[in-house]
Amino acid sequence: MSTEVIKVNVDGMDFEVPKGARLIDVCRDKGYDIPSFCYYADLALQASCRMCLVRIEKMPKLQTSCTITCTDGMVVTTQSDEIEKAQRAMMEFLLANHPLDCPVCDRGGECELQEMAFDWGGLEERFTEKKNYRPEKYLSPMVANDPQRCILCKRCTRVCDEWMGEDAIEAGGRGANTVIGTYGGWLDCSQCGNCIEVCPTGTLLDATYRHQARPWELAQTISTCTYCSDGCQMSLGARGGELMRIVARDRYVNGLNGEFLCIKGRFGHPFVNHEERLRTPLIRYKKGGKLIPATWDEAIRHVARKLDEVVDAHGPNALGVVGSPRITNEANYLLYKFATELVGTEHYTTTETFDLKPFFQNLGAPLATHRDIRYAKTILLIGGEPEELQPLTGKQIRQAVRNGGAKLIVVNSVPIRLVEQSAQFIHIRPGTENAAVLALSDKASSGVAASRLGIESSELDTVRQTIADTQGDLVIMFGGEISGDAQAAIAQLPYSLRRDGLRVLLHPLPLHNNSVGAHDMGMMNGKMSAVQMLDAAGDAIRAVYMAGSFSAEQLRGREETLAKLDFLVIQELFETETTAFADVVLPAASFAEIDGTFTNNDGFVQRVRQSIPPVNQAKADWLITAQLATELEMDFGFNLSASAVFREIAEQIPAYAGLRYPVLKDESNPVQAKYRIAEDNDLSAELNALREVVNAMPDTAEKLNATPKVGHELFKLGTLTDKVPQFHLLAAGNPRPETVRVSPLYQITVDESLRHEVAAAGE
Amino acid sequence: MFIGAIGCEPLQLARVHLEHSHSLEVYQQHGGYASLRKVLTSMSPDDVISEVKKSALRGRGGAGFPTGMKWSFVPKDSPKPKYVVCNADESEPGTFKDRYLMERDPHLLIEGMLIAAYALGAKTNYIYTRGEYRYLIDIMDRALEEARAAGLLGAKILGTEFSSEVYTHTGAGAYICGEETALLSSLEGLRGHPRMKPPFPAVSGLYASPTVVNNVETLTAVPDIIRMGGEAYQRLGTEKSGGTKLWSVSGHVNRPGVYELPMGYDDMEKFIMEDCGGMLGGKQLKAVIPGGSSVYIMRADQIIGKDVRMDYEGLVAGGSSVGSGGFIVMNETVDIFESTKNLTEFYKHESCGWCTPCREGTDWLVKVFKRIANGGGRPEDVQLMLDLCDNIEGKSFCPLGDAASWPIQSAIKRFPEDFRKHLMVNGQN
Amino acid sequence: MSTQLINIQPMSQPVDIGDEVASFSSEVEAEIDSHLAKYPVMRSAILPLMFIVQRERGYLDAPGVAYLAKRLHLRITDIWEVATFYSMLNTTPVGKYHIQVCKTLSCKIMGEPGITEHVCGKLGIKPGETTADGRFTVSLVECLGSCGTAPMLQIGFDYHENLTPAKVDQILDALP
Ligand SMILES: Cc1cc2nc3c(=O)[nH]c(=O)nc-3n(C[C@H](O)[C@H](O)[C@H](O)COP(=O)(O)O)c2cc1C
Ligand code: SF4
Ligand code: FES
Repeated sequence: MSTEVIKVNVDGMDFEVPKGARLIDVCRDKGYDIPSFCYYADLALQASCRMCLVRIEKMPKLQTSCTITCTDGMVVTTQSDEIEKAQRAMMEFLLANHPLDCPVCDRGGECELQEMAFDWGGLEERFTEKKNYRPEKYLSPMVANDPQRCILCKRCTRVCDEWMGEDAIEAGGRGANTVIGTYGGWLDCSQCGNCIEVCPTGTLLDATYRHQARPWELAQTISTCTYCSDGCQMSLGARGGELMRIVARDRYVNGLNGEFLCIKGRFGHPFVNHEERLRTPLIRYKKGGKLIPATWDEAIRHVARKLDEVVDAHGPNALGVVGSPRITNEANYLLYKFATELVGTEHYTTTETFDLKPFFQNLGAPLATHRDIRYAKTILLIGGEPEELQPLTGKQIRQAVRNGGAKLIVVNSVPIRLVEQSAQFIHIRPGTENAAVLALSDKASSGVAASRLGIESSELDTVRQTIADTQGDLVIMFGGEISGDAQAAIAQLPYSLRRDGLRVLLHPLPLHNNSVGAHDMGMMNGKMSAVQMLDAAGDAIRAVYMAGSFSAEQLRGREETLAKLDFLVIQELFETETTAFADVVLPAASFAEIDGTFTNNDGFVQRVRQSIPPVNQAKADWLITAQLATELEMDFGFNLSASAVFREIAEQIPAYAGLRYPVLKDESNPVQAKYRIAEDNDLSAELNALREVVNAMPDTAEKLNATPKVGHELFKLGTLTDKVPQFHLLAAGNPRPETVRVSPLYQITVDESLRHEVAAAGE
Repeated sequence: MFIGAIGCEPLQLARVHLEHSHSLEVYQQHGGYASLRKVLTSMSPDDVISEVKKSALRGRGGAGFPTGMKWSFVPKDSPKPKYVVCNADESEPGTFKDRYLMERDPHLLIEGMLIAAYALGAKTNYIYTRGEYRYLIDIMDRALEEARAAGLLGAKILGTEFSSEVYTHTGAGAYICGEETALLSSLEGLRGHPRMKPPFPAVSGLYASPTVVNNVETLTAVPDIIRMGGEAYQRLGTEKSGGTKLWSVSGHVNRPGVYELPMGYDDMEKFIMEDCGGMLGGKQLKAVIPGGSSVYIMRADQIIGKDVRMDYEGLVAGGSSVGSGGFIVMNETVDIFESTKNLTEFYKHESCGWCTPCREGTDWLVKVFKRIANGGGRPEDVQLMLDLCDNIEGKSFCPLGDAASWPIQSAIKRFPEDFRKHLMVNGQN
Repeated sequence: MSTQLINIQPMSQPVDIGDEVASFSSEVEAEIDSHLAKYPVMRSAILPLMFIVQRERGYLDAPGVAYLAKRLHLRITDIWEVATFYSMLNTTPVGKYHIQVCKTLSCKIMGEPGITEHVCGKLGIKPGETTADGRFTVSLVECLGSCGTAPMLQIGFDYHENLTPAKVDQILDALP
């Protein structure tokens, strides 16, 4: 939009607005209430609901303000008898075939149609004919559909196409028979549920929350998602200590993700109140024995004594402390403090395998925010698959390309779906991402890099040319395939690309909700990685105190060494493969039960807020650590509140200086940590090491040509999603049930295996 | 069925009765492609547009927009390809003239399209024909093949530097695809929903490129305009409505058919009673829908003795409009409530479903009509229908909503007794 | 809310899409290529191709739809949304002879009701139904551009105009 200012007159008042502004936005901005259903900022214009009618001088007929671009001197009337009659008429039309079943509708109370009808008041019901009936049904395990309530605003089909690039749901039929649906009536997609979110009525519904609660019974708490590093803001809806649902609906929350959430954020929460949550602390009094419930006092005392014993016998370095990229900054910070100040061990780390230290040490440009991505001119994506692993980033990239005309360059060993959006796809051999980084950092290595990558070196020249032609923002993103040296090289690229008219921004794509925060809290500064610790178990490492569990990959083949530990204490939500080896398991509280902060891949420090009291006897991870410290006779001084922990973080961690919970209060204005921008470092050591690695790469590996299916990562069962029955259906390929008139969950038997003979009820 | 001109020399219908009139040979024997040759060898694109402007030719698809002006909206300096698209969707109830033009004289359309393509610089052109007219697509395809073989189509037409292709395209059953922007959506392989205007097709149409959409009858008028000159063509009609117009006559007349009349032909009564052979079976004239189903219905007493002139202005003065020239004549046996119900069902069936008022309004109206027809009418229904029409008209996304309202509004106003009759319960209102 | 109590209008949603993809003879493939060659954008050929699939397979069945999606590089949903919009495209089977009687105004006032009654009586089905042997489907359709030669019906793509019951008999009896 240009900065030129023009004049418009709305209902007799003159306003100056930027040239090119959309009339409906201008009117709303100035406080004139314009009703609408189909208009949705940043989606393709629809102009089909005809609610937003206004009168514009010198134009015949009423005009839809959603389609009008303001021109200088435009004179607009937003309120008159004529306009009100027209708008009421549209409401009457929309309600004609609507079932008016608000009392049994899950959306009742937060339905835009209902709200509008209430606001207008006195709507006469002149429609006395038989309504067109359409049965309600399931579109997928996640999405229920009551087509009769549909007002065909097509927000759902537009987000499916424009945000998700999936186009899985569309309008079929014609005229009054138009329905939103899919071929075969079954929704095969990533199940993000954004169609549910943007639906203004109760047409598309969260199938997992069907008939569970009324919106006004729910206490809404704004918090941060616990799945990926994008850090979407969401509203947790709880009733009576139970987390009922998660939405991003912007009346409740207005974060960096708008109304966007992915399947995990939206539907992955039932683990919170799951019956398998640990109930009490558990102690295994002797190796090979059983875990036996204990009181918190007893468990803390027991752990303190055991840790004391190990340190006394073997020195502080015999104790390994392991944090997690999933727990809050507060929890990681206290583990750091526990390890370094209380124990004095050099052996502390997290279970995160994507160590961002080299990246942040060499950081040559600010981190890109999701907004920056949306308005970037060029995006270079090396490795990674944001659509499956950081879905909000995936959406921002797609919109940058489709709505903003950005150029996307994908460097990947698989033709990921984002390739559809790319201006250039560099299809490299598996495992050669580092070679691509080397080539970009050091032009002289292009030849050898290209041979290892399995590409023409001209392809790299094209990338350089695109970057050279870019006016505006270039965002460089990289996935977890990149080695430490390569991270350092990427972090310094802004120096070699520096030029007027180009702003370079960096965007790492770690996997977890607090990967960045875990790094920031210093937990990656220790001398051993998690795997190294596992390998040294029973040897240099005699005891481990950890929050969360080792991943399956970390544990695989190392079970025996893990069993050699003298003592293993774990804070967990559930029993896991790792807890099978634990001597003490302490029930930890999930994200929904605690206060704290996560730091996302934008560097935004965002609040986690308590929505429900801790389930069973769970305690916040930071609190457990603090209590253990007290037991070990070091008073951390803040056994009462997470905010106090955060105050100390702000004092100790320079990037967080000055931050306080009140400063982080407003999710619509997230605060970025102030990472130090590194000098133009000498990277010859790293580049040399990288060159050696690249030289040693084989140049024979076969390329991978298949585009992975939507959901290949999202539907993988993890410890948490394993607790959600619907995810089992998706992991099993989302088979269409024989009848969609009953819950697809009828397909799952108690042991959660798929059942094929579906109850014929309802058909 | 009658096909021919009344009150003037046939122009567009000049060859329709010749044997093998669809063949290139016959077409050329009767002066065919001379206009194209003239254009390619002696006229600039601007000359062509200016002749068409002088001809006062108005679009025959229904909207009556001046064709020369439409052509001049196409940006000359656009780097994008340009397209001429012929609208042969002809789905307006009562309209069948394009069908006979294409069936009997396909080369006339090709010539007209090529002249338009030359004037606008279009290299690719499509004839969008409704899917039901499959046999016409076959006729057009054969004619295109003939023209191509004769060097009249494709690369270096008639040995000049001008190259242009014409292809046929099939619709698949949707009246809304006659609306020009819906047609373009359909031609792009999408659902046939209309698009927002602006941008108008002339600026951003097919594949977001400058596009002119013209009706078959409009394009087939062009060769004659070039042959006789724009002014001479205009003089056949009136000052504002140049040339001749085809009327598709159906219903209760003795001689239905396609009639070519000079614009400004007076008068409609004579046309029905004499030219069309008078009323079928000698029954009384009751109503006429003169311009396809989407225009106001006229009462017999708005016609008889009223000298209604048959052109754009004359028909508006007479209480209706030219529309697509689908002239439906109804005698005293027709119940206007029933005929209006029939048309409303048509609009409900054909509403594309995009916008609220048309989708819901036509559905509702049909339900009211059906209820009344089944004896469940209520006195307030007439007012309800009028109000529903008012709520659709002018609020819908495209003119189909208006087109659905006008027949009802005019029918209720002009034939209240036919509606009242159905609302009587036990002989009372 | 019990849904069983209410009269259910079946939705025009075809069966689940299977893995099967239709295949066609080389002549048909060549015909398809000739349509694709007309357009700068593949998707434009969707309607002509749908008619071909419909001609070859009777209606737009799942393998046919899968073929279209593959051939045009579109998603299944793209095919579905288009196929269900246009009234000439069938997503469910129709009889070998699809008899379409025009019911719009000019035909209506010129005798359509008698023709429909005659056709339906002769075949023993109601509009919208298919005869048990799968030979005939009767539909009532909107204006087909034969108002001057009303009443009329179309069988497949063939126009039959100026109808009388006797003429209808002749036409139907002559069908192979
Ligand atoms: C609902 C609707 C249906 C229409 N159907 C047709 C049609 O079947 N044939 C046609 O030529 N124009 C039709 N039109 C008019 C076209 O939108 C457009 O005005 C016309 O093709 C322009 O050509 P012309 O300038 O040569 O008339 C229709 C318009 C509307 C609103
Ligand atoms: S008025 Fe609206 S619903 Fe009707 S045809 Fe036009 S766009 Fe479609
Ligand atoms: S918001 Fe403008 S038409 Fe729906």
